[in-house]
Amino acid sequence: MKIKEITKIFNDVSVKIESNNRIILKAPKDQILNILSFFKNKGFEHLSLISCVDWIKEKEFEIVYILTTYTEENTHIILKTRISRKKAQIISITNLFENAEPYEREIHELFGITFEGNKRLTPLFLEREYKIPPFRKDFDTRKYVKEFFGSIPPVPPVKEKKK
Amino acid sequence: MDRTQIKKWLKAPDKMAQKYSLWAVYFCTGCGIIEVPPVITARWDAERFGVIPVATPRQANLFLITGYVSLKTLKAIIRTYELMPEPKYTVGFGSCPINGGMYWDSYNTIKHLDKYIPIDGWIAGCMPRPEAIFIAVTHLWTLIEKDMAKGYIKYRENYKYYRRNQEKVLGKLEWKPLFPID
Repeated sequence: MKIKEITKIFNDVSVKIESNNRIILKAPKDQILNILSFFKNKGFEHLSLISCVDWIKEKEFEIVYILTTYTEENTHIILKTRISRKKAQIISITNLFENAEPYEREIHELFGITFEGNKRLTPLFLEREYKIPPFRKDFDTRKYVKEFFGSIPPVPPVKEKKK
Repeated sequence: MDRTQIKKWLKAPDKMAQKYSLWAVYFCTGCGIIEVPPVITARWDAERFGVIPVATPRQANLFLITGYVSLKTLKAIIRTYELMPEPKYTVGFGSCPINGGMYWDSYNTIKHLDKYIPIDGWIAGCMPRPEAIFIAVTHLWTLIEKDMAKGYIKYRENYKYYRRNQEKVLGKLEWKPLFPID
């Protein structure tokens, strides 16, 4: 597969090839389903990771999908897309890759991004509810720890009974 | 058996029995559990000290908390601790249960474990060596002998404070209070 092939089919997709056969694609968010299904038909059937990066200065979230294949050795497709921080919504890819569900739940819980179409966005790791999702850059962990864990009083010692 | 200890056996057989049968519940938290397999197997052989791992909390009376405690783990720890029969002894292993350790600014890891369940002894270090477990065990023996390992009595008498702290971090707990709260 050549770069030209990909750019011919999809408009406004930038392609870069790094060492170790890593193909990095950057695409707008409404094209990801098309691109992922295109690569799935090409043999990249294994979704190995979805992760998220918070670019707070640019006011954007970057969502990264990593696909691998079983036929060609050591080839990774890395698809990056950006969404705005204010309206953190993106389409779910659970219909295409079923194993995307826990990744999307995790990102929903830790970054507060809603995935449209994922029916199971329930709590996964956390036991408490946080005002700001804790993996966002504007979540001040030290302040939170000081206020929350510092406010829990120690248990008083047992009074000894008089004999 | 050590002949010099016969006196102690005759004087307080229950205490001696508790001392030499510290059965540890097989509960893994964090990274400290990596020190436990060499301790219980042939290299250090904890059975010399009467410490063996058991599968269920109902059989155990020693609770080693071996690493950082996240909120989800805390729930399991409280449940396991309440299932254990008395007398029960807890030892915090590593620096994370003491004051958070390297997770001192983490949003989801509790900092002071003794605010939620009573702890009889601490082993400081990151990681402590396996020998430190034996130092803790022998220290626990002297505490039991002198009636100073009273964590479970503290839990019974101060239960409302412990329960209050537990509900403060975990929200409402699903199970009923172990002891009556007035």
